[in-house]
Amino acid sequence: MKLTVPVSSPEEVEMLAGNGAGEFFCGYVPPEWLERYGGAFWLNRRGPVVGNLVQQDDVSLLTERSHAFGIPVHVTFNAPYYTPEQQEFLLPVIDRLARESGVDGVVVSDVGFLVALRCAFPGLSVHASSVMAALNPGMIDFLDELGARRVIFPRSLDLGDIASLCAAAVGRLETEAFVLNEGCVFEEGYCMTTHRSVGALCVQLPGVPHRVLPLGGEHAESLSGEEGERARELMGAFKDWVWFQNGCGNSMNSSGIPNGPCGLCAIFDLARAGVTSLKISGRGVSSYRKFVGLQMVRAVLDLVERGASREEAAREAVALRNTPKFCEARYMCYYREGAS
Amino acid sequence: MEVGLSFPFLAAPPPAVLRGGAFLEEALRGAAAGDAHAALAEAILRYFPEAAPSRVYVGNETCERLLPTPREIGSWVASAREGRLAVSLVLPPLSRDGLAKAEEAVRALEGVEEAEVVANDWGTVHRLRSRHPGLTIVLGRLTHKMLRDPRLAEYFDSPQAPMAARAALCRSGELAPGFRALMERYGIGRREVDPFLQPVEADEWENRSEKVSVHFPYLFVTMGRACLLGSMHGDPAVNFAPGAPCRSECRKYAVEFQLPVPGGNGKVKYLLSRGNAYYHTAPPSVTGRILGRLSSSRQVDRIVVTVPADGHGWGK
Repeated sequence: MKLTVPVSSPEEVEMLAGNGAGEFFCGYVPPEWLERYGGAFWLNRRGPVVGNLVQQDDVSLLTERSHAFGIPVHVTFNAPYYTPEQQEFLLPVIDRLARESGVDGVVVSDVGFLVALRCAFPGLSVHASSVMAALNPGMIDFLDELGARRVIFPRSLDLGDIASLCAAAVGRLETEAFVLNEGCVFEEGYCMTTHRSVGALCVQLPGVPHRVLPLGGEHAESLSGEEGERARELMGAFKDWVWFQNGCGNSMNSSGIPNGPCGLCAIFDLARAGVTSLKISGRGVSSYRKFVGLQMVRAVLDLVERGASREEAAREAVALRNTPKFCEARYMCYYREGAS
Repeated sequence: MEVGLSFPFLAAPPPAVLRGGAFLEEALRGAAAGDAHAALAEAILRYFPEAAPSRVYVGNETCERLLPTPREIGSWVASAREGRLAVSLVLPPLSRDGLAKAEEAVRALEGVEEAEVVANDWGTVHRLRSRHPGLTIVLGRLTHKMLRDPRLAEYFDSPQAPMAARAALCRSGELAPGFRALMERYGIGRREVDPFLQPVEADEWENRSEKVSVHFPYLFVTMGRACLLGSMHGDPAVNFAPGAPCRSECRKYAVEFQLPVPGGNGKVKYLLSRGNAYYHTAPPSVTGRILGRLSSSRQVDRIVVTVPADGHGWGK
């Protein structure tokens, strides 16, 4: 299994390559895009500037350095959709990145844009983003027919789903599963909200006034009695879950280990399922966090590849995290059934 | 204008479906005073005085646990036939197990005149088209990628926003050649859309080859495969896990959130959680603007009204 790692500067390449990165993904936002759309319409899932490269020369340098280590680079064009005018703008941008900067491919979310890319650049590698929400084997067939090279699984899939989709994809599509860093309370491919200007809706929800209402009455009243108590407990648990999904209030714990969603203890199962790449997300995080996250994933994967049992690998994962209470809560897990 | 009535949380058809006729008025005017449905009924009948339901929608667009069984579909089909109504089976984004169950459900519609299936993910579209070449497939509104964040609606028309950004927020990518090719490849003749808060560009609805259905009164905002209400009585160890067991709490409860409007001096917008999905009720101004436009539309020929189970609203 390869480790797919975010990179946001040419200066990070050597450090990440030296610690076991197998593939890179990065973002590029040309200045012309910012002139047209300001911060209102993000070109990719990070934006408009943080975590992205804004000069093509930097993409070229990053790619040159990566290729020196034998590491391919994919660039994210994974906004949920692009209008026809935006697609016309982006196709030449991608052409230049491939021809002049040497990037190996792109990551996309818009199914129509995937078709357009395959038509315009048949030799370009295209990865189907998790935002495309590949939830079932029909989607594997769909992406295969459209010529995608890889499917990136959404975070909401459990290990059984992933094993089933990997079996459907074998010999046709590469597969990539999340293993560290960023969560999503909603299903990313079906979330029509935005994080820009007003922040993430999911983070906001537990803190705003709310009522759990019984349906069917003339007037909607809040619940009372035993059901009211259950409703209060539910909303308290919801608040906890959102907190864990969003990095536990701090991106690092006191030992300098990254907080937030994690699938370290499921690496054994992901390997057995036939996943071809493990994704560490977070283009926008610090170089230090990228470094520590990569080291953690590399350590557990090395253990698995040396023949460790499921239990041994999971035990090591929990020990590396060094926050056993967070692991026990399980709200931080991508794959709860993999938790030790 | 064709009118469809959607019952996303009902396992069996309501008795009124059997009667047919003036059910739209009965169902919607029966709503509690001040409810969104009372105002909606009035608005629809003002623009389309002859509007009468000709189709029922069965199934839920976000949760595969609410997928009707073949037997339940048989019951809906029989009731709809008595009321001289066509049937649309609504499918949510499906997991591998859900897709298998959905295929059973689709088989229960074989031979049913004017039946159609509303698919909300491309994997389902691909599978159904591959295995059921003659099936009428409608592309569900969850696949229509456009911003629907009610917190930002007021800013869509802001003159401070760059013109290109304003235009981009008021249209999708579906008129681009790649998406057009997909619609043709899969033989999709109808697309569902939401009652958008922002003033969607006319092209978005009119410059399509397929017909368009517009949903009222609820704007789909977001969904998770983890269910908020489904965790109400669950084991804390599996709460909020996709696929965790539930007691169909979505049929008994809703959660209403009050979202502060940025810079709104205390004004709020309501967001309603029904099961694993979140909706915002389109205000009368938006409903009126869209209905007014539909009367002269070439492509929009159907309204889909989500009806609460008992005639009462889902909240604000």
